[in-house]
Amino acid sequence: MKRRYTIIVFTENNFGLLNRITIIFSRRRINIESLTVSETERKGISRFTIVIDYDESKIRKLIQQIRKIIGVLVVFENEDDQVFFGQIAYFKVITSSFEQREKVMEIAHRHQAKIAFSSEDYIVIEKSGKEEDISTTLHLLEPHGVVEYCKSGRIAIVKDQHRFSKYAKNMDPEGWYSDEEFHELPLNGKHLL
Amino acid sequence: MSIATENAQQLAVQAIKPKHEKTNTIVNGSEAVILSLIEEGVDTIFGYPGGAIMPIYDALFHYRHALNHILVRHEQGATHAAEGYAQMAGKPGVCFATSGPGATNLITGIADAMLDSVPIVCITGQVAEKFLGTDAFQETDVMSLAMPITKWCYQVADPDEIPLIIAKAFYIARSGRPGPVLVDITKDAQFADMRKPFKYEKRRQIKGYKPACKPRDKDITKAAELLNQAKRPFLFVGHGVLLSKAEKELLEFVEKTDIPVASTLLGLSAFPTDHPNYVGMLGMHGNYGPNKLTNKADVIIAVGMRFDDRVTGNLDTYAKQAKIIHIDIDHAEMGKNVTPTVAMIADAKEALQDLIPVVNENKHESWHLEFKKLYDEEYSKVIEKDFIANDEHIKMGEVIRRLSEKTNGEAVIVADVGQHQMSAARYSKFRKTDSWLTSGGLGTMGYALPASFGAKMGAPDREVVAVIGDGCFQMTIQELGTIAQSGLPVKIIILNNNYLGMVRQWQQLFFDTRYSFVELSNPDFIMIAKGFGINGHKCMHADDLDSSLDTLINSKEAYLLEIVVEKEGNVFPMMPSGMGVDDIRLE
Repeated sequence: MKRRYTIIVFTENNFGLLNRITIIFSRRRINIESLTVSETERKGISRFTIVIDYDESKIRKLIQQIRKIIGVLVVFENEDDQVFFGQIAYFKVITSSFEQREKVMEIAHRHQAKIAFSSEDYIVIEKSGKEEDISTTLHLLEPHGVVEYCKSGRIAIVKDQHRFSKYAKNMDPEGWYSDEEFHELPLNGKHLL
Repeated sequence: MSIATENAQQLAVQAIKPKHEKTNTIVNGSEAVILSLIEEGVDTIFGYPGGAIMPIYDALFHYRHALNHILVRHEQGATHAAEGYAQMAGKPGVCFATSGPGATNLITGIADAMLDSVPIVCITGQVAEKFLGTDAFQETDVMSLAMPITKWCYQVADPDEIPLIIAKAFYIARSGRPGPVLVDITKDAQFADMRKPFKYEKRRQIKGYKPACKPRDKDITKAAELLNQAKRPFLFVGHGVLLSKAEKELLEFVEKTDIPVASTLLGLSAFPTDHPNYVGMLGMHGNYGPNKLTNKADVIIAVGMRFDDRVTGNLDTYAKQAKIIHIDIDHAEMGKNVTPTVAMIADAKEALQDLIPVVNENKHESWHLEFKKLYDEEYSKVIEKDFIANDEHIKMGEVIRRLSEKTNGEAVIVADVGQHQMSAARYSKFRKTDSWLTSGGLGTMGYALPASFGAKMGAPDREVVAVIGDGCFQMTIQELGTIAQSGLPVKIIILNNNYLGMVRQWQQLFFDTRYSFVELSNPDFIMIAKGFGINGHKCMHADDLDSSLDTLINSKEAYLLEIVVEKEGNVFPMMPSGMGVDDIRLE
């Protein structure tokens, strides 16, 4: 059965690794729903957040293949209840009249969105949150003349502090997995056997 | 003995090379490449020069007495030769190629090495950094091409990175589950001087990369428990046994537990074929008993193998009754195709060493008898017929049987891909380890000729015999030139049926004998060989077979023996594609 997974991958910040990782998905004909990459608070280490809808029975194999890539330090595979996650969206709305502007700002306010930029002709509204919140805001703003809309990929942070700190040690300069930890790695405490 | 062979022998004994005098001096990128290879203990390079790698070749010229370069006739040949070398020498094989077509010609061999876990390091020249991405002359994005088929690849545009990257390349290629690595170096980085003095340090670890770990005690205990209670245990030997040099431990383990042993295609020669516990080969054209009884075993211990689809057939019906102990160094193989009861992520040698003291001495006579019964059936229906040459035709099986007898099972057999490969795999008797090279995972036609001279370079003291079909031979036929120029005494047997035999067999069995473009009109192979300066003979009759093989084996130089074999012979047993091990057919 297909489920939504948020895969968080920590890697060295080397060119080519993005290709290496996305090949794992493309050769299996897995569509990436969203992909966000940025450097972490640790210099030289990047964080990939990849969202896919994938078969529950095959997800472990996929993660094991990602783990094999040289330059990948640690991989977490998460279902939605295991992470805090969100996206950010911008809406550019034409405001040709005062009434229209008031209406758009009222929608933004009601939906905890920010006015990121305002000019005489248009307003840029910034909305962060879950995908459905962003969709609702879009739906409400559309009748008022959304001329440009963009949204980021998902970013996510793992809820379980214990799991993260244990496996994140491989990202530290002196942190190496022991043999025992390496055996335990396959996937979020749901070990292979 | 040829000069090339003598050189190779001399170089092979230089196990540890001293630090080069150029250490701590400023050199350019090209010289840094060569010095790094010397520091890494490289003695042989297979390659082909061209525009974007000329600075490295220029540096190589100055070091030609330290590094033996074999000029292949096509870059694909370089990769296969490097594979053959690596497997026999026990260290990574090295290839050089230029950018663009040189690099793309490496691709087949790199993919082959990836699927068969062979450590090779490919160094390609690249256009200068300022031309990257401009479709410059002979520019290809070799990094993107190589990414899915290498264990690691890296593009260097700064000469100061070269020693570090080459050290990393060798460490990654040879450690854990070995594999191919590609280092692409821009031409300007080859020309430019390093900013820092040359210094080389071998890598022993890389952040985030854990190539091997020790078996867990709880896995050893659980595996021993299963094996000690098993009534019908069965052991599968894979390539990992050879890669980890675990043959001695395997033998000890088997002799203590009395478990029947079968081999995968790439595991052949890891276990002596004349051992009473050896029951044959697994897989699509493997032996009848090992395939059938896979679905009767109560415990399967798979050592250094990956349950490839050619071994398992239909996974839905594969070994469902068995508890499986899977030992493999690659964690990603655990549960990939079959779900193990015990998943032991470990080097085969270490795992067997830990298992030997905790498994019980045992006897499994009645279980062995079941294998014997099925072998007898296979013998009468298949093997006996493959061994009897009638008046009209020589059989492939007969050639291999006699070759094995004449070499006492001690030659290195390098098989290409197809019917002759399966005959060689089925009927070669292996009494020495590391005696079998073939393209297993990728099934690359054209593998054997270059792999055979690579193997000879890697193990000059071993007799190397390439067994090649007439179709495969013509895929890398030009490497006869490399063999001749290098003076390598490689023995070549062409089993010629004027067909792409395996495809023809499938067309006969599964496409109602519609032979669609499989018949070959072949050239005079002996004349071609002679044109390259290699002697040869065409054997057309069974009564000429013995003396022909004797001439081949007794030749002190490279020799080509073409044997005209049965035109429409089939390889059985056979597990039809998509079917299970139970469905294996004897006819």
